[in-house]
Amino acid sequence: MGAYGLRTHIWNNFWKSGLLLAGFPLLLALMAYGLALIFNDDPRGLEYAMRSSAARWPFFFAIACIGAAIWFAIAWVANQKIIDGITGARPVTRTEEPRLWNTLEALCISRGITMPRLAVIETPQRNAFASGLSRDKGAVTVTRGLLDALDEAELRAVLAHELTHIRNGDARLLVIAAVFSGVISLVAEMMFRGVRFRGGDRRGNGAAVIVGFLVVALAWGLTFLLRMALSRRREFLADAGAVELTQDADAMIAALRRIEGQSAMPAIPGQVRAMFLDDPPREGWFSSLTATHPSIPTRVAALVQHAGGRDVVVAAPIGMAAAAPPWSGAAKPATAGNPWWRGKA
Amino acid sequence: MEWIILGVLGALILWLVLSYNRLVSLRQVTNQAWSDVDVQLKQRHDLVPNLVEVVKGYASHERTTLEAVVAARNAAVRADGPAAAGVAEGALNASLRQVFALAENYPDLKANANFLSLQNELSDLENKIAAARRFFNNAVSEYNAMRESIPAVFFAGSMGFKERGFFELPEAEKAAVQVVPSVKF
Repeated sequence: MGAYGLRTHIWNNFWKSGLLLAGFPLLLALMAYGLALIFNDDPRGLEYAMRSSAARWPFFFAIACIGAAIWFAIAWVANQKIIDGITGARPVTRTEEPRLWNTLEALCISRGITMPRLAVIETPQRNAFASGLSRDKGAVTVTRGLLDALDEAELRAVLAHELTHIRNGDARLLVIAAVFSGVISLVAEMMFRGVRFRGGDRRGNGAAVIVGFLVVALAWGLTFLLRMALSRRREFLADAGAVELTQDADAMIAALRRIEGQSAMPAIPGQVRAMFLDDPPREGWFSSLTATHPSIPTRVAALVQHAGGRDVVVAAPIGMAAAAPPWSGAAKPATAGNPWWRGKA
Repeated sequence: MEWIILGVLGALILWLVLSYNRLVSLRQVTNQAWSDVDVQLKQRHDLVPNLVEVVKGYASHERTTLEAVVAARNAAVRADGPAAAGVAEGALNASLRQVFALAENYPDLKANANFLSLQNELSDLENKIAAARRFFNNAVSEYNAMRESIPAVFFAGSMGFKERGFFELPEAEKAAVQVVPSVKF
């Protein structure tokens, strides 16, 4: 179904990310089949090996599922502590950050959401992320640079984006995706290391082993691409959800434009960066497939098309942000066309 | 054979139910979006009498302008529904603009703290109304498009899903909005 507007755009993305999520168990099954091929000792040739592997893969699949379940249990318990430890986020109270706290609280009250924990990372880079594996134990973390750079409406849009992540259970989804791809890449690495040790003296079926390795490698690669595609869908969803919460597509666009090019957090590992508001991709044509986030122009284009927003040019050269707060500038988008605006330019 | 027919029938019913539910939910979005616009409009209506009082203190003989504002405000309060509100709010905008143009002639009024804060509040509200208006219109166009697409087009009319009107400002008002405001010092 085509998207006529914001709601249908959201439905489409939910549908697509559901399909992507269903791909993980399939890839795990594919990997189990590859394993069955590798450990096949049918001497009669490839065709027979493929047939007997087709009967034996559920055994490997069951083991992989148990592995994934244990991994998931550990991730569930340790998730928030690991994230806090890695990012160096400091929890803040209402008295320390009244502006941030009040903005988030107003959003939560208006839609009946439990107020998440709030934390700040002391860095001039502009970024934010939501974490927490259940809806009641969410946490929203923003950087100091973001707080200083955004005006009231833009900050609200960013917080609404993060709240939408919490409402949609995206942190949990990312953990699920990371566990699946973790199990698959662990097995793949074990297999490819094993080749070096046992290379010569295999008794098994040579052709079946090669095909098995190809299948495992395919599952490995596809898992990675699938995880990234899922992450990008959830970003579109969070952008659209933020507009639904704030009813202000322009503020979301302006906020994205303000963090554009200033959101890099190189000290933070990629798995955690996937949770951030923006994660600028590496250079290269392949990056659109391997990026955790759609590019900011793509996200803005989606907001313009589906949410009726208007793009803005934010003239804020790097390093000038502290000297001239952006809301004092003439680039303030919403004021154009306001009959009573007597802007202090 | 029966199973295929049953399966197709089941899928068809599922599709219809899904479309119906989506239509209901889109209608609900437009309702909520309109009530959000309405809240902002009410806030503006509440500010107008205060503005008139302040201006009266400095420019009491500009009676016709002020009376026009009060009349436009009362008409806007009475306006019901997006289409009527669009016309009434357009008229209110026009008369409010006259008041602010008139204030240029009264330096004392322009310097009055109450007047300035009312001006800022109205300006702030205007931005919010503009954003809420576009969100509402976006939701309406989505609802109308869904209503006219297959399969909803077969049942929407008979099941009471009426076409929604946009909240649009009159043409003259639109032209004024297009103009980039000049900033004077």
